[in-house]
Amino acid sequence: MARSAEEIVKIAMGRGFDEAVANVFTYRVSYLKIANSAVDSIVTKLENTANLFVSGKKRVFFTNIDRVEDGNIASAIKVAKETIPMLKPKEDYNGIVEGPFSYECKCIYQKKMANFDNKMMSDIAYAAINSALESGADSIAGTLEMTDFTKEMATSKDAAGTEKCAFARLSLRVFRKGLSAQKVVATKKIGEIKPEALGRTTTELASLTNEKGKVSNGNYDIIYMQQPAGLLLADVNDMACIGSVETGGFLTGKLHKEVANKNIKIYDDGKSPELIATSDFDDEGYPTQKTTLIEGGKLRGYLHNHSTAVKYKTKSTGNAGLVLPESNAFVMEHKKKARDIDALIRKIDRGILVTNTWYTRYSDYLVGNFSTVPRDAAIYIENGEPKFAIKQLGHTSGTGIRISDNIIRMLKNTECAADDSMQTASWDSGSNYYVTPSVLVRGVDVTVAH
Amino acid sequence: MADGQALAEYAVALAERRGFGYGEAYFEQSSGTGYAIEQGRLNSSSYFEKSGLRIRLLKEGRMYVFSTNILEKDAIRNAIEGFRRFESSRTQLSRESPQKAKVAVKERKKFDKERLLKDLLSLDKTLASKRYIKFRSLYAGFGKDSSFMTNSDGSSILQETPRVDSTFSIIVGKGKETRQRMSQFGGVGGYEMLNIQRIEEQLLGDSKAMLDVIEKGVRLSDPELRKIENVLISPEIAGIAVHESVGHPNEADRVFMREAAQAGTSYVNPDNLGLSIGSEHVTIIDDPTIPNSFGFYRYDDEGVKARAKQIVSRGKQNELLNNREYAKILKTKSNGSARSDSYSNEPIVRMSNTYLKKGSASFEELVGEAGNGVYIKNFMEWNIDDTRTFSRYQGNEAYMIKNGSVEKPIKNYRLETKTLDFWHAVALLGKDFELSLGNCGKGEPMQGVPVTMGGPHALLCFGR
Repeated sequence: MARSAEEIVKIAMGRGFDEAVANVFTYRVSYLKIANSAVDSIVTKLENTANLFVSGKKRVFFTNIDRVEDGNIASAIKVAKETIPMLKPKEDYNGIVEGPFSYECKCIYQKKMANFDNKMMSDIAYAAINSALESGADSIAGTLEMTDFTKEMATSKDAAGTEKCAFARLSLRVFRKGLSAQKVVATKKIGEIKPEALGRTTTELASLTNEKGKVSNGNYDIIYMQQPAGLLLADVNDMACIGSVETGGFLTGKLHKEVANKNIKIYDDGKSPELIATSDFDDEGYPTQKTTLIEGGKLRGYLHNHSTAVKYKTKSTGNAGLVLPESNAFVMEHKKKARDIDALIRKIDRGILVTNTWYTRYSDYLVGNFSTVPRDAAIYIENGEPKFAIKQLGHTSGTGIRISDNIIRMLKNTECAADDSMQTASWDSGSNYYVTPSVLVRGVDVTVAH
Repeated sequence: MADGQALAEYAVALAERRGFGYGEAYFEQSSGTGYAIEQGRLNSSSYFEKSGLRIRLLKEGRMYVFSTNILEKDAIRNAIEGFRRFESSRTQLSRESPQKAKVAVKERKKFDKERLLKDLLSLDKTLASKRYIKFRSLYAGFGKDSSFMTNSDGSSILQETPRVDSTFSIIVGKGKETRQRMSQFGGVGGYEMLNIQRIEEQLLGDSKAMLDVIEKGVRLSDPELRKIENVLISPEIAGIAVHESVGHPNEADRVFMREAAQAGTSYVNPDNLGLSIGSEHVTIIDDPTIPNSFGFYRYDDEGVKARAKQIVSRGKQNELLNNREYAKILKTKSNGSARSDSYSNEPIVRMSNTYLKKGSASFEELVGEAGNGVYIKNFMEWNIDDTRTFSRYQGNEAYMIKNGSVEKPIKNYRLETKTLDFWHAVALLGKDFELSLGNCGKGEPMQGVPVTMGGPHALLCFGR
């Protein structure tokens, strides 16, 4: 018999723990794969699972319950009972937050989105594929993910809540005449998927110029479009989580210090209903919020759960994961706005428009030095005009350039942004979503393949 | 496990009755314990237990994959009978001999969670005693996977794999300068795969070396960096280069563009198979059958018997890693490279233990042959482009080689080069050999599978 989160907490508390938190998930998700301009396969998952957190005398323990049934609950609690006495107390642990709370429950949940099936997904995929082909694409790859899930949360401190979420994420990569471009649409509203528009605009991005050329090592102004801007800058939210601060990240020791251009505002958004990575409550039941991390050029705060907030004499930001604080959706705004990408391009004497990056790797998280590789079309700009697509590696679709920077320097040198903010994601961003405009960053090191 | 096996057999039988040309079921049961100690605090103590079933069905060339942890006949029947036709490309699988096998890796030393925690806390205490270690994060865990795979071809394979995994992040600092290193240890087997004494020695050695780089390292000017032609790479650098610039681009699904929107494409394509990738010294192998290795398996997730694959043979591209789908396209047999990271994801073409074959030179001979150049011992930052053509490996620990001897550390060396230039520069191979651990990411949703990568020390002469 399936049990609710409240029942799991009640059973756990009956076994003598000081605290218990249960999060129960039921979900159905399908992944459709596009390869060589056709649907390749569909993978569907159906799961019922729970996570359980318990504490006793400042010792904390986390486990899952696979299929929320009596036998599995009893087994998980048995392991917790056996393990907790052998653990070392976590001296800085200050407990879970005291409820109850009321939640705004503004979540967007469209039944039409939730009722997806193979046929519907295949139709969406082919609408995007056909649109791209009609726009001149040579070949298309991609993925369509559709998810429907329910999350139920209960704690021994009287917090309880349930919410439903259904969303789609359509990613398309288009190849055209030796160049490529990739764009992602992520939305909770079925009408916003717009596969034809994605097919057309992704192809247009791969067709910005037919000219190809080479550049040399040097310092360039870079325009990062929304996807790479979000992928790079969203590390701010992860590094603002107090766990990352304590273990050495680029925001460690930077509270109230200058870390960005004064026109930038960055916040962690846990509650905006239209965003995918949001919820009414965090894992311990505290209501989620928008937390300003960077404003006026300075780092304004870190992300906390109740326990870490008590430790640092501040308030919870509603970012509790079951073990440590976790970030929600990354949102960046820039006061200095250009109308669009073209307006940003006109501000550049010698630069590069970067449409996508991947393989961002840090040489030292504490310092924030990183390098990243433009994956798709990178357009060389001279005297305010796009000149050619960079092709250092003639026989492949790769650009053959690499960007090296420091994340704090990047934040400080982000001079302005286009008025084109959108919610997006990348293949290597996992379940992170971000809302960013295209940004112009001055003076970035670029190395090239010779 | 018996109930899961029965459900898997039921699924395949039902798929056959419902007219699917191919049916496959994979049941998995796994459990694990892990601890995370950060700056001396036991931040996480966790245990997981999960089981589930995946079915793969092929009808009229359409591949449909369903997975669930709801282990009831109704859920499986609903999935099979509720299969709704969709427009897609046509998938065919190679014919393979049915396999029947039971494989169980033994734990020579039984896992003991209390001992693991004690060992980790002791290791943390030792690291904390070094004032130059500013930040430390330690994670170690132990798990066991049991799987049963059966298909409509008549295969039926039971595998049991215990595994130990640990990762460590150390940040060393002096004044305002810091350096960071992440290391991973473990393998398939019991607690014997986690040698805490060896790990402690290595972490302390690496930390001291990073401190030396901070204190004694020099920064070379751009012209000085450009002049460097001879580069001696360690097994760790050989490993990451093998994995990123040879293993990945020789995965058949990339070559045929199935991963183009996710893990990328390849400089290898169906028209240039057999191309020259490196010098005659370069032979690169992927071998899942290395006992106790982190990437070990005897049968892949499509039930094909695992074997060593020679990806590059004496410099020439030789064999793609494939699965049954790409074996059919390539008109060959599967070489057993289909892996999934759990029952809930599809099996795709993956590496296992990938390495550069060793030679016969001693370390001293390699350094002597280098004459003047750089020795790059380990890395922190690395990346490569979508086609796997242009890579960079940052020298977290790198040294000048002058007149045939290793000298002072360099702070800012990065080996940034094109793949074919890198492998054609291989001039001499060491007789030593080491494998490093990794979790390799691919697919969507992202699947991380345990792998190793390595080789010997190798001398690269870019000026020849």
